[in-house]
Amino acid sequence: MTSIREHQYTVETLELTSKLLRSNPEYYTIWNHRRLTMQHLFKGPGSSERSREQDHDAIVNLISDDLAFLLPLLRKFPKCYWIWNYRLWLLEESTRLLPTAEARKFWQQELALAGKMLSLDSRNFHGWGYRRTVVQALESTKLSTQEPINSMAEQEFEYTTQMINSNLSNFSAWHTRSKLIPRLLNERGADNEARRRFLDEELELIQRALWAGSEDQSLWFYHQYLMSNFDPKYARDSMVPDLTTDERSKYIAQEFDRVQEMLDGDEDCKWIYQSLIHLSKLRKGLTAEWPAKADSVRQWTDELLRLDPLRAGRWNDLKSDLDN
Amino acid sequence: MSLVSGPGRGGTSAGAVPDELKLAVDNHVKYIQSLDTRQDELEYWLTEHLRLNGVYWGLTALHLLGHPEGLPRDATIDFVLSCQHGSGGFGAAPGHDAHMLYTVSAVQILATIDAVEELDLRGKAGEEQVGKYIAGLQNRETGSFAGDEWGETDTRFLFGAFNALSLLHLLSLIDVPKAVAHVHACANFDGGYGVSPGAESHAGQIYTCVGALAIAGRLDLVDRDRLGGWLSERQLPNGGLNGRPEKLEDVCYSWWVMSSLAMIDRLRWIDGDKLTQFILRCQDREQGGIADRPGDMVDVFHTVFGIAGLSLLSFPGLEAVDPIYCMPKAITSRILSK
Ligand SMILES: [Zn+2]
Repeated sequence: MTSIREHQYTVETLELTSKLLRSNPEYYTIWNHRRLTMQHLFKGPGSSERSREQDHDAIVNLISDDLAFLLPLLRKFPKCYWIWNYRLWLLEESTRLLPTAEARKFWQQELALAGKMLSLDSRNFHGWGYRRTVVQALESTKLSTQEPINSMAEQEFEYTTQMINSNLSNFSAWHTRSKLIPRLLNERGADNEARRRFLDEELELIQRALWAGSEDQSLWFYHQYLMSNFDPKYARDSMVPDLTTDERSKYIAQEFDRVQEMLDGDEDCKWIYQSLIHLSKLRKGLTAEWPAKADSVRQWTDELLRLDPLRAGRWNDLKSDLDN
Repeated sequence: MSLVSGPGRGGTSAGAVPDELKLAVDNHVKYIQSLDTRQDELEYWLTEHLRLNGVYWGLTALHLLGHPEGLPRDATIDFVLSCQHGSGGFGAAPGHDAHMLYTVSAVQILATIDAVEELDLRGKAGEEQVGKYIAGLQNRETGSFAGDEWGETDTRFLFGAFNALSLLHLLSLIDVPKAVAHVHACANFDGGYGVSPGAESHAGQIYTCVGALAIAGRLDLVDRDRLGGWLSERQLPNGGLNGRPEKLEDVCYSWWVMSSLAMIDRLRWIDGDKLTQFILRCQDREQGGIADRPGDMVDVFHTVFGIAGLSLLSFPGLEAVDPIYCMPKAITSRILSK
């Protein structure tokens, strides 16, 4: 500990911090000391005598070794923020100190690491967050080897499809999808026709998913997100901004029929009633008329109160909202 | 203040029904007071990185339990000041580097015991300098905040800055509109917020983002019905709340979900009675302390958030809590009306 207190930055200090961090990775001050030590070692001893080439190799080795040191710690303490922060700092140092192609290699490996973590636990919060950060770095101008920058939106979108296909109950994947879609459509230069086709495909996908798992809230949240495309309030950010009112109400009618069909044999699924009310309100907002008899909307809120008493306060608010 | 978990476990005693509904106030007070006497345990030292947070958690719990004198005031001030650096920032314990998270706890502790002026009297840096340390962590281009000089950004740090600076009446040191725009950029389709733009909604981050918007007076930016709907779905049939879809219930998430619902005026959208019963089932009524869920070890972190949750649910006998600051409402009202 003395060498740390005395601010010594040697290979020995580095080993000492390794020892301390292996027993307690939450000790953030030690991570900071390790950063200072690494920065010292990056500079190398008496750098004037060494060629740039040697410096460069030394830095690559230091970073590789340090990334390797972190792996078992991440496996043992996957929820420890400080380890992830330190790892990202190290990678940013590679961007700062090494030629672009060299630094890119380091970042590229991290994508595989994030993928491995998510294959072990597909909802790992740190895993998804880490993956997003790594992708952002790889897409940044600092790490770009070409003009225009290498967008990974298509590849990442494909990744969410894979994750969803292996397990529908993955809110993280649906979320990521919602963030990628607007970018994807812009980057494809999608015209209105292509945008409509895309929306139709997403609607098909979520319908298939809902038939397989009508009690899964992740799916219904995504369904609600897709329905925002038909809500003038959210139109500006929607997939097809130029939908006419007529088209919107046609879409709503189509979704309404699909969801109502699900009710047959699944009468105790509260999400179906919730969606039917939501769609009815959307339709009412657009055309000033209810798609079904106003009585049914009231009946559905009664079903919600029956099936979901935990959220009775919410359904009562909805009920008085309908009365106004 | 020890962050050691245990010795007790939540909900291990099979008491009769009426007991189930009681809060073991005296034993919780004793439990919190006993924490600092456990320095002979290895875990006491392994949790040193949280010590200043721990004092804030224990102190706040004691205040809400109606025992504001439960920790010695002078010793508390001495300990807080011993964690300060010349930069104005605070570390988790003496000798630990300064970081936003501990600086915020330090300010909250001093505000709670009405001792902020001690900074100017005998701190390593005065009140203004504490504000400058925090303000210095804002990225003036993006509006976001880093946790320390090493640059990790997270909406938790932004909220911490708003929290502490508003208590010090020093919000003018930062670019509030830029920070608000950053929070708004973290919003998601479900109405929730993540750690950074693009990140998934998470109850803890929602609390920090909605809290920051509340302090800035910009709750108009929140999609209340959508967010309220998502938050209300965090309640599970056993009454407890989780932090994200498909996850387990946990007392600390109860607080983050509930306080966010309170800030957007939707607290009635969950079943308060069932949640009260869930939190009460997580306490160790004999040895004191509250666990994350029944059967687990108690700790001071879940103890304060359990008690703060009960307070927000108007549980009888508790001091009212401020949903934004997680401090006694009487104290924040006094400070903020100055
Ligand atoms: Zn917890």
